[in-house]
Amino acid sequence: MAKTFHLEIIAADRIFYQGECEHLVITAIDGLMGILPGHEPLVTCLPTGELKYMTNGKWHYAAISEGFIQVLPDKAVILADSCELPEEIDIKRAEEAKERAQEQLRQKQSIKEYYQTQAALNRAMNRLKISQKHFK
Amino acid sequence: MANMREIRERIASIQQILKITNAMYLMSSSKLKKARKALEATDPYFYKLQETVISILEHTPHTRQQYFDRREEIPEDKRKKGYIVITADKGLCGSYNHNILKHTEAELAKAPDIDNCYLFVMGQVGRMYFQKRNRNKENFVDAEFVYTTQNPTLYRARDIAELVLEKFEKGDLDEVYLIYTDMITSSQFECTTVQLLPFERRHFSVAPDGSLKKLPKASFSPSPEEVMSYLIPQFAKGVIYGAMVEAFCCEQQARMTAMDAATTSAKDMIKELSLLYNRARQAAITQEITEVVGGANSLEEN
Repeated sequence: MAKTFHLEIIAADRIFYQGECEHLVITAIDGLMGILPGHEPLVTCLPTGELKYMTNGKWHYAAISEGFIQVLPDKAVILADSCELPEEIDIKRAEEAKERAQEQLRQKQSIKEYYQTQAALNRAMNRLKISQKHFK
Repeated sequence: MANMREIRERIASIQQILKITNAMYLMSSSKLKKARKALEATDPYFYKLQETVISILEHTPHTRQQYFDRREEIPEDKRKKGYIVITADKGLCGSYNHNILKHTEAELAKAPDIDNCYLFVMGQVGRMYFQKRNRNKENFVDAEFVYTTQNPTLYRARDIAELVLEKFEKGDLDEVYLIYTDMITSSQFECTTVQLLPFERRHFSVAPDGSLKKLPKASFSPSPEEVMSYLIPQFAKGVIYGAMVEAFCCEQQARMTAMDAATTSAKDMIKELSLLYNRARQAAITQEITEVVGGANSLEEN
């Protein structure tokens, strides 16, 4: 049995995962970051991206949008706006969101609107990417 | 004694109202179920968020982050205060709106200069109230801040958080408070004020035994400033969303209780009125009989 640490992934609308985990890989602002048991205390933010964690020697994948992670000596807490398994992603909705965002980007927008649309596009693309990658 | 027609009309009108209140009761109870579910789903996030941010701040080295800037150089009576107030979109929910409005008034009264207060009101009832209250002063209620309180979404919370953070960064606001109704138990509500900005460190570093703990500093990647500038908007958004969900649930609960009470008292009233009506009818019949008998008697005597 590999060494484990306690992992909590909490999305705004539900508790996504709560339990032991052997290895966690997150997308931080500057790239992928792996967390093993006994990691030093760390706080970092998670942009929209992919997340994977290993339980019982098996990798689980999830799409995550905007959140942060706190790593403590014995546990890690991830708080995010949303977190979904690849098979839970609504591809149709994501595609619609993507198209809507692209449409808006073609139009004239204020800087604030531009950032918002870009973030929306980012979320939609991330969802599509992850569902295509892991759920066929 | 009121005449029969009057009573009949009154009963009919009460029955009409009874139908309305009963329908609203049913509607709000089904909406409440939905709101409850949302609240239960969000609660872990809401509390974990606060807990985590508290513990992160305990490990944070001193940072010169703009959201921590208390702007002490600005005197108390010159500080611009912003209040995000969450009210309902509709009335007919008992004392829910009155309580939150009263609470807001009390908060405003605490401010040294009301001219430096800015309100961001969610929900029609509150907007109307505060717009009427200070007609002579422009910008008291932000005219562009139009958000409904129904079916709260994270998207709306994000919008609101971005708006106030931007105003804070620009210096249009020096302090931001959030006023909403908190659900303590399913029948007990309380209006609460939460300070959103500037971020106060001392709110957080309270040890349970009152002693100052020496905490190990956590590492921040890439840097504490960067993480904070990302985390605080996230936190603000989470808190606003949580408050919205909580307030919406309270509103539905309040409406349900109010409508239930209205339905019951309408039923009571109908009961009382139909008693009166029957009595009046009986009296009229008795009178008629007496008249007929009296008439017949007088005929016989002749």
